[in-house]
Amino acid sequence: MTTLIVPRMPRPRCLVHPGLAGVVRIRSCVAAASRHFRLHLEPGRNLQDAIVQPLSELGVTCACMTVLGGAFSSMSFCVAPPDPTGERAAAYSSPIDAGRALLIFGNATMGTDTHGRLMLHCHGVLRNQAGQTRGGHIVAHGSIVASGGVTVLATVLDGVELRITPDDETRMPVFLPFLSESLHV
Amino acid sequence: MSSLGSVESGRMGRVAYARIAPNEDLVLGVEKLCLAQGFRHAFVRGGLGSLVDACLMTADDRFLQVSGPAVEVVSVAGEVRPTADGCLRAALTGVVSDTDGRVHGGPFVPGSNPVCITFEVTLEEWLPDAA
Repeated sequence: MTTLIVPRMPRPRCLVHPGLAGVVRIRSCVAAASRHFRLHLEPGRNLQDAIVQPLSELGVTCACMTVLGGAFSSMSFCVAPPDPTGERAAAYSSPIDAGRALLIFGNATMGTDTHGRLMLHCHGVLRNQAGQTRGGHIVAHGSIVASGGVTVLATVLDGVELRITPDDETRMPVFLPFLSESLHV
Repeated sequence: MSSLGSVESGRMGRVAYARIAPNEDLVLGVEKLCLAQGFRHAFVRGGLGSLVDACLMTADDRFLQVSGPAVEVVSVAGEVRPTADGCLRAALTGVVSDTDGRVHGGPFVPGSNPVCITFEVTLEEWLPDAA
């Protein structure tokens, strides 16, 4: 990893992925309006279950979320260095143990996996047990809400589905948006 | 004499979610999303994903380059507004983490933040009241 401060705007790199670039570069769906829910996550549950279960009970299958600061009794996260196998441009690292950690803030999206189960994708900034500020992909199953709970603002996009979809270009599964009506086509 | 700044009243409209594909620029991608959905003003409601490399403006107008791949975007905030010449301009700030998990923050430099694997962004349309 390197960080540099340079006087001129650097030329962006065009990364070569294992598959051909698709035609659609920005795939979007729009909801006519949104609904919002404030969640206060239950201590002792992992981040995935603590968010997915209450939203599921509300009938929500698609949401984007701001995760406000809160304490976790344990947390792990990943970074995304180059894939050592060379099969993809980048791949998640093994989980990094942050120990007892404070999530400073995070962003998350919820959609469905390839089996139709609700799943969460969360990135965040945290202070780990050693007091260092770090960031990355939060391992939602492996991060346990501490006493005091964690507050989340969920924005629900009615009429939109987010589905984990294999991406031919990157050979990684990614969330893609679909209009709900397309489920019945 | 003190200034109270300016206040623009309005309301929120539609909400758009997009997946921005690899090698597309984050800032220009947000602008193109507004073009695709007919938004003239919008606020970023959430965003996460990865960049090939990140480029953030420093306090003295230089460029902080964080090398990947991949650099994870852990937070992004900002808005899109029309400019006097009728174009759209996104102004985005955020926090990124490098391949060691160290974090860096600042304004994203338009044109120098290519997406690595994917970028998910949610925009909420802003409908200002007529002046």
